[in-house]
Amino acid sequence: MVHHVMGVPGFYPWLLALWLLPLLGAIVCFAFGPQLRRVAGAFASAIVGASFLFAVICWGVGTQTVGGALGAHQVLFSWLPGFDFGLLLDPLSLVWALVITGVGCLIHIYSIGYLEGDRAFARFFAYMNFFIFAMLTLVLSDNFVGLLVGWALVGLASYFLIGYWFDRPSAVAAARKAFVINVVGDVGIMFAIILIYSRIGSLSFGDVFANVDKLGTATLLAVLVCLFLGAAAKSAQVPLHTWLPDAMEGPTPVSALIHAATMVTAGVYLIARCAPLWSASKDAQLLVGTIGGLTALLGAVLGMVQWDIKRILAYSTMSQIGYMIMGVGIGAYEGGVAHFLTQAFFKAQLFLGAGLIIHALSNEQDVRRMGGLAKKMPFAFWAMLTAVLAISGIPGFSGFFSKDLIIYGTLANGHPWLYAVGILTAGITAYYMFRLFFITFFGTYRGDVDPSSLGIRHPELAGVASAHADAEHLHMSGWVMNVPVAILMVPTVFSGWLLFGGTHSPWARFFVSQFAQIRLPAAPISEGLTSVLTFVLVLAGITVAYLRYATPSAQRNAVERLRRETVGMPPVLSNAFYFDAALDALFVRTSQWLGYLAARYVDPLVIDGGVREVVISTQWLGALARAFQSGLVRAYAVLLVAGAACFIAYYALAGGAR
Amino acid sequence: MSGALSAPIANYVALSGILFFLGVTGVLLRRNPLIMLMSIELMFNAANLLLVAFARLWTQNVGQIFAFLSITVAAAEAAIGLAIVVVVFRSARHVDVDETNLMKG
Repeated sequence: MVHHVMGVPGFYPWLLALWLLPLLGAIVCFAFGPQLRRVAGAFASAIVGASFLFAVICWGVGTQTVGGALGAHQVLFSWLPGFDFGLLLDPLSLVWALVITGVGCLIHIYSIGYLEGDRAFARFFAYMNFFIFAMLTLVLSDNFVGLLVGWALVGLASYFLIGYWFDRPSAVAAARKAFVINVVGDVGIMFAIILIYSRIGSLSFGDVFANVDKLGTATLLAVLVCLFLGAAAKSAQVPLHTWLPDAMEGPTPVSALIHAATMVTAGVYLIARCAPLWSASKDAQLLVGTIGGLTALLGAVLGMVQWDIKRILAYSTMSQIGYMIMGVGIGAYEGGVAHFLTQAFFKAQLFLGAGLIIHALSNEQDVRRMGGLAKKMPFAFWAMLTAVLAISGIPGFSGFFSKDLIIYGTLANGHPWLYAVGILTAGITAYYMFRLFFITFFGTYRGDVDPSSLGIRHPELAGVASAHADAEHLHMSGWVMNVPVAILMVPTVFSGWLLFGGTHSPWARFFVSQFAQIRLPAAPISEGLTSVLTFVLVLAGITVAYLRYATPSAQRNAVERLRRETVGMPPVLSNAFYFDAALDALFVRTSQWLGYLAARYVDPLVIDGGVREVVISTQWLGALARAFQSGLVRAYAVLLVAGAACFIAYYALAGGAR
Repeated sequence: MSGALSAPIANYVALSGILFFLGVTGVLLRRNPLIMLMSIELMFNAANLLLVAFARLWTQNVGQIFAFLSITVAAAEAAIGLAIVVVVFRSARHVDVDETNLMKG
């Protein structure tokens, strides 16, 4: 086996501090929550802020190249032969670490305002810090097992935070669903690890990537399919995406941090990290690219028909991650990772902006009951506008650059169908984002309108006006929520410029050693023309949204139009293509049925029956032996005589034969 | 073949067989332990008769000596048997072996 170490070995105290600090914060917040009270928020935010600072300090060692080794490698301890546990910081994990701690810090600060008055304030921040630690474990690990540990821990943190309001049955159900689906992915990765170890005998990334050829085509494909199962579950890819929209039951900052910016992109990280494996298998690339493209399209289509502001954003997250998976899947690693970076900013901002609205309207999430918020909440208006422009891919905003890099990459790698899906999805994305934007901010406020006239058929809402029927007294957020959103606005607009300049862009130079082996061939349609094509569809999407929701007559008749759209919604769309029902019928029912069989037959007949059989046979043997113990002296005498007779008869006969 | 015996050996063997059969029958059929003990003595005596008869036939005194040993054992056995019968009678006020079934499993 060829041993290969990724990263320059050494002792990196800043790297260790960056990794362990959030764990310390989580323990302190959990142990001293009652003592910390309100301070817990500031403390946890400071911890993550310090972690971000250390990540910036580590920039130098993370991007260093010494004799072919890229980044920093910190060995922690040796467990089994071929398996040393350690930390690896290279450009790829550096990007993730910076986003996790940077965006994470802003969202921590925002949460101080969002959860003000919540009774389990410190517990929330303990979970959040724990999540940061788990996510850093995932991206900083230098081997597959450490990655899996982090992978499972972020799933646990996600479970805690989705079910944070555990007195809501829907939140508990959503948390359980997310956890179960994620465990399916964990098991996939575990199988991949077993396969890799059995063939290569090592689990560190360096050794595995240096010995790809020892896997063989079929095994490599099996490994990659197993890994992708994990990526698909964590990153909400079809058909394992159904947990993500439900996960919106968690507090909005959680949705922003975990279910938009960081955790759900772990699948993208996994594929980008294993780029040498994926580049070696065309079949796996086609599979992942296709699933990614399908998810992008499906998420966008479902995003068009949602009414809950957070569910719109959830489907949009699913769609954007579909883009990333498609990008890294077909080999456009830089594009996929770039879209992770820009999406982390603009999607966090979208969620935080939505959080401002939800906070102001006392937990109203239905966009039909919003409207006309532009004048009442100018800050939220501008925050959402920049993020909507960024996700729609308006030239100059961040999403434009990264999305085009992926779309162009699909064509350059010879996948014209995915290219078409990418461009089409970009148009749909623009439509549903502007639909959200127009319904929420344009027209007049509809919180005081009877829900049934909007087509809302919740029995408990019938005839009830929104909590904020009086739109003059909104619960406006303070600086602690506004400042993080304002800071996020900067990268939301400008982070895409890192990608400007093709192969000489700062982004390409940053990753030149990481993905050096992957250079895109020229495509039949140039990058410029791709941008123009995409932009035309984006404009078309915006125009349709404008015509449907924002023309002066549409604004006047908004109530009637929304009612008609709600009532006329085809069931196939309002049921999200029946994925939930299909998964339910295929797996949940099957498991229930198997469980019923086990409870009805296997347990009473095999398990209990086995025990009972032992008892019965012992009883039977006992009865047999007891029959001789009659207590009758004469019966014993008969046996004695019979025995003696047999004895004598045997010797008489045997003697005769002799 | 006949040695110092006054009658043919077959007679002794036949007598011994009859005595043994009487003893077995007595043990199997009688319910009084005293009679059963006596029947056991009968079986002992059948065996002793064979021992002394063949000792005489083959002029080997080992058989004579063994008969004495057997008589001693029979006496000891009879003493223990009678002691048991007395103890059983004290606790159960009867000595019917069919009614005495405390050892029944």
